[in-house]
Amino acid sequence: MAEEKIVCQNLSHVYPRGKIVALDNVNLTIRSQEIIGVIGQNGSGKTTLVKHFNGLLKPTSGKVIVEGNDTAKKKVQELAAHVGYVFQNPNHQLFAKTVELELEFGPTNLGLSKEEVIERREKAIEFFGLQDLRLSHPYRISFPLRKLVSMAAVYTMRPAVFILDEPTTGQDNITTRTVYRLIEQLREEGSTVICVAHDMILLAEVVDRMIVMRNSHIIADASPREVFADTDLMHSTHITPPQITSIGLRWPGLGKQVLLSVEEAVAALDQSSAAQSNPHQLS
Amino acid sequence: MQGVAIPITMVAGNSYIHRLNPLPKLFIALGVLILSFATRNPAILGIVFALGLVFVTAAGIWKSYLRVVGILFPISLTLVVMQSIAPAFPKPWTPITSFGPFTIYQEGIYSGVSMLARIFSMTTFALVMIMTTHPSDLFTALQKIGMPYVLNFILTMTLQLIPILQNEFAVVLSAQKSRGMKGSGFGAVLPSMVPVFVGAIERVQQLSISLESRAFGSTGVKTSFRNVTMSLKDYVVLILGVLATLGCTVWVLLDKSLDWSRTLIFPPALAITVVALATIGFVIFFALAISYVLRA
Repeated sequence: MAEEKIVCQNLSHVYPRGKIVALDNVNLTIRSQEIIGVIGQNGSGKTTLVKHFNGLLKPTSGKVIVEGNDTAKKKVQELAAHVGYVFQNPNHQLFAKTVELELEFGPTNLGLSKEEVIERREKAIEFFGLQDLRLSHPYRISFPLRKLVSMAAVYTMRPAVFILDEPTTGQDNITTRTVYRLIEQLREEGSTVICVAHDMILLAEVVDRMIVMRNSHIIADASPREVFADTDLMHSTHITPPQITSIGLRWPGLGKQVLLSVEEAVAALDQSSAAQSNPHQLS
Repeated sequence: MQGVAIPITMVAGNSYIHRLNPLPKLFIALGVLILSFATRNPAILGIVFALGLVFVTAAGIWKSYLRVVGILFPISLTLVVMQSIAPAFPKPWTPITSFGPFTIYQEGIYSGVSMLARIFSMTTFALVMIMTTHPSDLFTALQKIGMPYVLNFILTMTLQLIPILQNEFAVVLSAQKSRGMKGSGFGAVLPSMVPVFVGAIERVQQLSISLESRAFGSTGVKTSFRNVTMSLKDYVVLILGVLATLGCTVWVLLDKSLDWSRTLIFPPALAITVVALATIGFVIFFALAISYVLRA
């Protein structure tokens, strides 16, 4: 069994202002090399949950254990080496004069030697394909690339767990594909990836475990296929599955298959048309 | 997470002072400001301050008021210390005692104490006004008495941007902490300030486009969503307040016997105690502030 990376035990969080209960007795275990999607309506507690994973928020009751560390006893800065958090808006994270300096910031904070910092920087530039942007100012490059830089800046810290907040929002098709590929690659390198996202297509294609939140609770924790197939669940959380999934579920000719990608749909359609045309030819 | 919020905002309530028109409050606060600068007499400033506290009680804003004072008081204590050793006062100065290169002067203590009383008399009234008045009401009232709309708008906008920037700063700070930023001292300034300022500039650009597209700057008479009226009692308070503050100002300016700078003598023991307490007070405050920043 894969190693446990993050464990939440009876985690509750109440915001002091207005005593808003954002998380109510959540239990969750996240293991290595999982790709997890966290979904739910705005205000359902998604962000509050993932902010506990790197200690930005501390539990008001219960515990969060990250690679054996109780987050209540650690600073965010200490947990940064274990859990990397890529914020939704890259502008909030980037400040340096060049992309290179930006990538060096994280590992320098971890106290690594100069050689190691440079090695990690080079690895990140290669991994994210940023060769042409080395000396560009992060604010001068296009938004999708800036987002990649902010991911690269977290990648240089080699965390065991990556939290990506809306990694594909505002991205064009090319960078969206890059993000998909990166998530897969991160898993191959042994990392866990947690995506907080509204992009159902992203989730359907790359994620292997979905955590569905509603009213401060986890109401489902299953594979995307199971989650998207559960129309009542989808309806109750006001989430629309990818169109291709809805077609598969509603079109009788496809036998209510749960399709997650266009490729799957094409294969299923081929099969069903073959099944329909073959008897015809025989008769 | 929420960062250090500036506690100077309106405190919701329905006291007599809350219901008063913003203009009488503004003019009384201005009158007290003028009066406070017209005199150095600690007794008069003390009485004004005490009167201010009566209004704080009437408005029911003690909690918020004390939060501001908790920050302001230790900072103002530096004035007492600095003034004691270097009075903002015409010479000759009367020395009380010396610690190495520093000499404490009679006039210095007088000056420091009166400055402290001055700061507190005027800020108390100003805080009562700010904490009991909705900013929009204040600006609507100002517009009624002829303040230009654009100037008014700039001020309102600035006030609204403060909480937004505070939130923004909190987000940026948590983003940088997530990157392992050593969250203290000067090294932390650049990573957190650059994104906040760049964000603020972008926001202003977008805001100006959005304003233009909604006919900001069109000519003609504008209507206002908020309506602020002056009732009879508002007029009474306004007139009494202005007469009282101006009357006192004239009185303190004319009555030379109120200048106690040469007659009010602090015994050496008292003077040393005051300076020592003031020093201890602000040293403790800065130590606390620094440890707070280091912890964040």
